[in-house]
Amino acid sequence: MLEGTSKRLSKYFSKFLNDSSFIRHYLWKYRRWVLIGLFALIVVDLLDILPPIFLKYAVDIAVEKQPTRLLAIIALAYFGVSLLQGVCRYVWRMYLIRASIFAGRDLRGKYAHHIFGLSVSFFDHRRMGDLMSLAINDVEAVRIAVGSGLLVFADAMFYLLTVPFAMYWLSPWLTLLVCLPLPIIPLMVLKNEKEVNKRFEEVQACFGRISAMTQESLHGVRVTKSFAREDVQIQRMREIGEEYMKLNLGLARIQTAIGPFMDFCMSIGMVLLLFVGGRSIIIGSVSSQGVAIGLGTFVAFQRYIQKMVWPMAALGMAVNYYQRSVSSSYRLKEIFKLTSDVPNAANPILPKECKGHVEFRNLSFRFPSDPKIVLKDINLTIEPGERIAIVGTIGAGKSAMLSLFPRLYPIDRDMLFIDGVDVNDWPIEDLRRQIGYVSQEIFLFSDTVMGNVGFGLNDWIEGNDPGVPIEEAARVAALHEEITGLSSAYRTRLGERGISLSGGQKQRLTIARALAKKPSILVLDDALSSVDVQTEEKILKGLLARPGRNTEVIAAHRISTVKDADKIVVLNQGRIVQLGTHQELAAQRSGAYWQFFEQQQLKEDLESYENEIQQ
Amino acid sequence: MTKAPVNTRASEKDSSLDVEESGFNNFQKHTLASLLKIVFRHKWPLCVGTAMVILGTFAVLMEPRIFGYAIDEAIIPKRMDLLEKTALVFLLATIVRIFAAIKQGYFFELLGQRVTQDLRVMLFTRLQSMPVSVYDRNPGGRLLTRVTNDVAALNEMFSAGFLSMLCNILMVAGILAWLIFLDLRLGLIASSVFPLLVVISAYFSKRLKIAYRDSRSRLSSLNSFLAENLHGMRIIHLFNRQKLHLERFNRLNQWYAEAQGGSVRVFALFQPTITVAAGISIGLTIWYGGLATLDGNLKLGVLVTYFSLAMSLFQPVREIADKWNIFLSGMASAERIFSILEWEPEFECTSFARPVMPLAGVQGHIVFENVWFSYSPNASAVTDLTDSSDVPPDLRVSWVLKDFSLDISPGERLGVVGHTGAGKTTLISLLLRFYEPQRGRILLDGKDIRSYDKRSLRASIGIVQQDVFLFSGSFQDNITFWQAGATEAVTRFFSQIGFRPKFDKVLQERGSNFSMGERQVIAFARAMAADPKIWILDEATANMDSETEALIQRALNRATVSRTSILIAHRLATVRNADRIIVLHKGNLIESGNHETLMSENGLYARLYRYQIADPTSVA
Repeated sequence: MLEGTSKRLSKYFSKFLNDSSFIRHYLWKYRRWVLIGLFALIVVDLLDILPPIFLKYAVDIAVEKQPTRLLAIIALAYFGVSLLQGVCRYVWRMYLIRASIFAGRDLRGKYAHHIFGLSVSFFDHRRMGDLMSLAINDVEAVRIAVGSGLLVFADAMFYLLTVPFAMYWLSPWLTLLVCLPLPIIPLMVLKNEKEVNKRFEEVQACFGRISAMTQESLHGVRVTKSFAREDVQIQRMREIGEEYMKLNLGLARIQTAIGPFMDFCMSIGMVLLLFVGGRSIIIGSVSSQGVAIGLGTFVAFQRYIQKMVWPMAALGMAVNYYQRSVSSSYRLKEIFKLTSDVPNAANPILPKECKGHVEFRNLSFRFPSDPKIVLKDINLTIEPGERIAIVGTIGAGKSAMLSLFPRLYPIDRDMLFIDGVDVNDWPIEDLRRQIGYVSQEIFLFSDTVMGNVGFGLNDWIEGNDPGVPIEEAARVAALHEEITGLSSAYRTRLGERGISLSGGQKQRLTIARALAKKPSILVLDDALSSVDVQTEEKILKGLLARPGRNTEVIAAHRISTVKDADKIVVLNQGRIVQLGTHQELAAQRSGAYWQFFEQQQLKEDLESYENEIQQ
Repeated sequence: MTKAPVNTRASEKDSSLDVEESGFNNFQKHTLASLLKIVFRHKWPLCVGTAMVILGTFAVLMEPRIFGYAIDEAIIPKRMDLLEKTALVFLLATIVRIFAAIKQGYFFELLGQRVTQDLRVMLFTRLQSMPVSVYDRNPGGRLLTRVTNDVAALNEMFSAGFLSMLCNILMVAGILAWLIFLDLRLGLIASSVFPLLVVISAYFSKRLKIAYRDSRSRLSSLNSFLAENLHGMRIIHLFNRQKLHLERFNRLNQWYAEAQGGSVRVFALFQPTITVAAGISIGLTIWYGGLATLDGNLKLGVLVTYFSLAMSLFQPVREIADKWNIFLSGMASAERIFSILEWEPEFECTSFARPVMPLAGVQGHIVFENVWFSYSPNASAVTDLTDSSDVPPDLRVSWVLKDFSLDISPGERLGVVGHTGAGKTTLISLLLRFYEPQRGRILLDGKDIRSYDKRSLRASIGIVQQDVFLFSGSFQDNITFWQAGATEAVTRFFSQIGFRPKFDKVLQERGSNFSMGERQVIAFARAMAADPKIWILDEATANMDSETEALIQRALNRATVSRTSILIAHRLATVRNADRIIVLHKGNLIESGNHETLMSENGLYARLYRYQIADPTSVA
């Protein structure tokens, strides 16, 4: 039986070690700060025993008519203790709370460090809100446990270890008597905890419904307005708000009673003190027995009983802080467990020359999160300097194929070679430096035009001069003139606090961004879709003439984009179904390319007619 | 044309919602007054709560006095009978105090809940009465934050004892008065540090406010940096910028931690001053009170009462200091809420009190008269309507409708065709007065639509919108907007198109359990409910199965009978049978006629039509 108990104990202990690993780590890391803070806290708590004793002596002096000089000394001592306590309170706040701030900063930094190291497939399936909440709310929960949690716990423990002894020293039996009602406090708190938690969860759930209802009505505002039914939405909000109010009040009914209840337990002690203690003074002064207490002790007890309420409440708070931090640390640990699925090569090989030669050898591919195979038996060689176009319907595998160039997703060995080296062997940073990949989704940072175009340059000059590579890239992307036409040219800010560009301008900016780092392979994944035909032609010509030009791989939906390519690859359901030049493929009347071609012709006819109307 | 400042759009967006930066400094008086005005609306809980505070304060003041009385009158004179009585009175005072505390907590919570509910409804009502353009300018997320998080912060402020905090002030005043009443000189001595404490608190509260604002704004830059990076993570990886951005993150993180540390320092300085002040006060009481007791001028019990009271004097002060942070963030939220309540609505919120009545006797004659319209906020200031190429492109006004005129006769079935961005949906938005044209006017039955009541006008037009938006509720709720029973017009419509509705089917997560056909039928039935004379279809671009397609076609044929109908079509098959089809191109009306004449003209319509026939999946 003893063995069973010890087993269970060791299980609890290892669970505790696991639960509190972050807390312990940061307490250890900032142990100097924590120790100084705790020391100051002990001093505060030890000093806190003195004031009631001073009062006791003051009363005794007054009763026994001792010299007044002693009174002045006690008054000064009281003031001195307060001053020292004040200083120590300053010290523990500065050390304990600030240590927790450092811990929060470190944990947030660790989280960011980890997140930045994960591959893009991690972000494909996460909600941004969840990732943000980890960095804010969960880190904060751990931080509070390290700071306020430890503080409240230590404070309660020191009080519990000192005040009762001081009281015991003054009068053992009175201590036992007046403290009798106090243990009810933690019992009551624990008993109500379940109900409080249940009601709290109901309140949270209702809050979720309010958020959802608000979100829905804000999204559907056009519908509501066009039917002039705003009043109905308001009524719905009123009703759900009323419900929320009722649930909150149900919670408050318990919560507002807990504090006064603790107070009541203390006050019972006070009544006992008054009645029994007062009795003892009266009897004691008659019979002068050993158990009798003096008036001074009586007054000191009054203060001590008041001091005992706080540690009881504090233990409850400490448990609460700790539990919150435990669930948060598990969420964080889940993330910390993950590793990148495109790790850097263990024995990196750098090719002799980066000229843009690509070879697919029997390549099959599926996304890490999805068992469906998206690319199958791809065999393709791209010579340096070639322009390859990839066409195919939506879902044919174009984007998947292009995302392999910069190794955004994991690929098996011996399937994709760039400049003769397996992509898995390339140092990943060097590989990505060689590849200018422009995806179909447009993302710009809220920075200046210059900052966005020069994103890939490590050393672009900060100043009014946009720098040669930036301007050059913008020219090739047919954007330079429009940028100089902006009110602050290259210094114009984009995004939230700046101007918003048109879709086509944004897209060309992403192309310029890729060009600025002078990649040996340029990969455009449907990256000309928002650009009109004339501008597109200009860009495609410019690409041929760009300095240090090499291989280009372009996926597109428009004939105009692909027809001048050296080779056109037609993808269908993850396989290459046709391969050749525009002339060759357009001649095959039954092929997939022909269908594509015919439809595009009608579309281009339509577009050219529209341009006619325009003029 | 005069050049406006470069970032008109940006600055306008900022001024509308980011009170955080500018308004944090000078909020208090104005916001507090507005908030208290709402508090005073709820007289019942306010009166009971306040009565409980007064009762509780009285008990708090009495308890130490009873204790002192017991010392003086029972213990020292050794009167056991009186000791029992005083102990009972003490117990009674305690029970009164605890009772008052529980009730006060509850009634103030009730009051706080009522006030936040009021504010929530007021805010929501105001948002519902905002013109659509406000929703274009402000991302939904931000408005959502106002209604949920800011109201929640206010709620927390009340729950954490905003009202008890006000009561603490009452408590402090009560104790001070009681101290002075018990013994004038000792009272004055015990409370002598108090004015100093008030000055110190005022000083620190100012510094705390600055410190908290600092750390809040740094936290928000940290958050927006992280959010942007999470969104752009792919780009960061592609350009090998992980290290650089991580360094930036760490800088912001450190910067935020420093601000946090700064506010801790202010707080760490503030709290001990209260401890020290209390020490001075009680030290003086011991000294002076002890002397007075020795001289026989002061009873021992009164002195003990003083010790207790002087200590409880500083407890409320400490509490106020502790809760200052919650109070500040609650007030910042209140500030943001009140700033939205000041926005200009498109109609009075009070108009929601009575149900909206559609316009009587509508014929359905609609005329657009030389209408110019642009979504750009600069457009109304533009006097020269032609595109001037010497203006920087970010300031150029792009017109969605240019000198557009159209006459739709009552009962006509009109098809509108054109590319995305041609201005088709804009026509409808203008007719519903979601926006006002910069020039020209729109007439309904010969009268400018601005002369009608906005809500009545909208209620008179039945519209089937592009994306069928479903509210969380039942099939019926979605058609009737939570009115009891479907109207006769709706049930007739269902029987005419041969559709058997499941009225009590409840929407699940994002409407996943409603089929495409059901969604479309809901959209049609919503528009049918009031049996309107004008009827608009803004067609969805989504592909449909043939069954749904047939259902829609039946619904369409029914709905257009004897109504002025405007059919905005993406699939040209929808408008083939219209009385007249107009083709819009970049805000200009370029073709007009029925299907046959337009086909023979071989213009844009004919080409669009041929293209769609060749590729049924594409839309115009």
